[in-house]
Amino acid sequence: MAEITFDGVTKIFGDDIRAVDDLSLHVADGEFMVLVGPSGCGKTTALRMLAGLEDITSGTLSIGGSVVNNVLPKDRDVAMVFQNYALYPHMTVAQNMGFALKVRGLSKAEVAKKVGEAAAILRLTDYLDRRPKALSGGQRQRVAMGRAIVRSPQAFLMDEPLSNLDAQLRVEMRLEIARIQRLLGVATVYVTHDQIEAMTMGDRVAVMRGGKLQQCDTPQDLYDHPRNEFVAGFMGSPPMNLLRGSLESNDSGLALVLGSQRLAVPSNYATSHQLPKVDGPGVVFGVRPEDIEVLEHSGSDSLSTKVERREALGAEILVHLALVDAVGNDAFVVNDSGAVVSRPTTLVAKMGPRSGVSVGDQLQVRLNPDHFHFFDTDSGLSLRRSS
Amino acid sequence: MTTLVTPPTESEGTGEPRAMKKPRKVGRWILFGAMVIVAIVMLYPFWVMVITSLKSESQFLSGGGFSWLSWSSLTSVIPVGQEVLSSTILCSASIFIILCVGLPAGFAFSKLRFRSSTAVFLVIVSAMMVPLQAILMPEFVNVTKLHLTGGYTGAILVYAALGTPFSVFLFTTYFRGVPDELIEAGIVDGLGYFGAMWRLVLPIAVPAIATVTVLQFIQIWDDLLVGLLFIQNTSDRPITVGLAVLAAGRTTSIPGLMAGSIISALPAMLVYLGFQRYLVKGLTMGIDR
Repeated sequence: MAEITFDGVTKIFGDDIRAVDDLSLHVADGEFMVLVGPSGCGKTTALRMLAGLEDITSGTLSIGGSVVNNVLPKDRDVAMVFQNYALYPHMTVAQNMGFALKVRGLSKAEVAKKVGEAAAILRLTDYLDRRPKALSGGQRQRVAMGRAIVRSPQAFLMDEPLSNLDAQLRVEMRLEIARIQRLLGVATVYVTHDQIEAMTMGDRVAVMRGGKLQQCDTPQDLYDHPRNEFVAGFMGSPPMNLLRGSLESNDSGLALVLGSQRLAVPSNYATSHQLPKVDGPGVVFGVRPEDIEVLEHSGSDSLSTKVERREALGAEILVHLALVDAVGNDAFVVNDSGAVVSRPTTLVAKMGPRSGVSVGDQLQVRLNPDHFHFFDTDSGLSLRRSS
Repeated sequence: MTTLVTPPTESEGTGEPRAMKKPRKVGRWILFGAMVIVAIVMLYPFWVMVITSLKSESQFLSGGGFSWLSWSSLTSVIPVGQEVLSSTILCSASIFIILCVGLPAGFAFSKLRFRSSTAVFLVIVSAMMVPLQAILMPEFVNVTKLHLTGGYTGAILVYAALGTPFSVFLFTTYFRGVPDELIEAGIVDGLGYFGAMWRLVLPIAVPAIATVTVLQFIQIWDDLLVGLLFIQNTSDRPITVGLAVLAAGRTTSIPGLMAGSIISALPAMLVYLGFQRYLVKGLTMGIDR
């Protein structure tokens, strides 16, 4: 078991395609690290460099304190679980699981013992003589896990191992993988594009975009304190509502101007955040869907909205709310030059399944003032001062 | 009172309109009839060959009768055993070389990244388009200069050279269908590229290996030209050359020639029938991807 360190690791394909750009990341011994991001963000390339399947253009990659930049995959002592499992189709489950041990020259008795132990952990004992094609998706996934854990490697590398499973099985296997990882206490790097997997499985989550690391934090910190607009918009389902507005100050205090509406901003944000000057270049305001509630009457901390769409999910409903101005027309959110920008002018709110909201309703909604987020309009970085 | 009643459709209950069933059935019978005619056209020469071989020379000329004479006297007319053995040696050695070259080359072209791989692959595959007759004389000159025209060696090298481009093409196509992750899993498990090819890819490449083996076997076993030109030792000549010599003789026994032809044709047919299952799989690979 060992820790993993990416130190300024860069991968360039061809002449100028930077798949991974100056990645610095530390995975502690026994930690479950999830790399998450949209397609093409470089997460799988980072994992493949760690496995030794891709060369590193620059930077240093260490496993257990030893630099492995030029170490062959077989000598890195890492085990990898692939997206499509990559089980050897001509071998039985037992042969698949014991193959790496056989290659390393272990005796038949040792291989059988280790395979038996791993099969017991994964509840595969009854399937050891079957070929992969005679297994279900979930069983194949467990065999792929078994092939990894039987080696007792320094680190587990998992490349979207649940993406081929149906929704229900995915939930089960999510718990199973997390259970096994905690049982074995081996450092794990897990790649996924599914932020629910990232939030539920990882000790820490590293969000990537365009080859660059955006933020690495515990799931809750990532959710509560996104470092930039991208992380705010990527983590959470549905994601954080992001609206462009400007700040103004009047007798009753600080207010955020969204179209023709004003939303009171508690004074503590002036100290906890590095807010732009009043009447300055504006700000990107964020609020989570669960921090929006319907009010009976209007107030300084509420917005007038119109229900545009309603999505019933069973346990909750997602209500798409368009901002409306004082006379009831849809509000525009404009940029510094007065032009309409592409940023959404709608809010998505999570509401209870029995809240009688219908399309076309005019609603007065309150945004929870304890959970406001502010981002810089140019850089997209959070304006929250680091505590 | 007015009620609306939905009329029953033709397809109700059966899931398929009855009118459509009839043309499909007629079409099947037409197809079956056409296949029978094709089968008769293909099998008739073989039937004539078998019937003729079961006659003596005089019975063949008179048109009736039955005799084992042509079969019992076959070994005295041509050394059938020796020639079948020669053909077997030629086929086995050539196919061995073709597989030894084609498998790693196909693996490399499909799975490894190296400079100009596509260009090299295209050059090799373009050799498939060159007809045997066009390169036969240059080949003969080369092999003669190397003093390899006496026994099997020259012919084996020529057969291997002619068959390798096709095998490289077929194995490359086949291995492209094998997921990269399978090989990468093997590499992470501790194998090198050669180990991954030998222990992981080869066992699942049986249809491709069978396809190359069968097609090359039929081609080499049935070939006359290379054997005639490159094997000058009469004791080493293959069955096709033996039959050609028999046919070119001053007094040719047609029933004897037919018996020899059956012996010549039988191994290729048996190999085809034995590997037919793999052959279809090997030739259609990639289509259903």
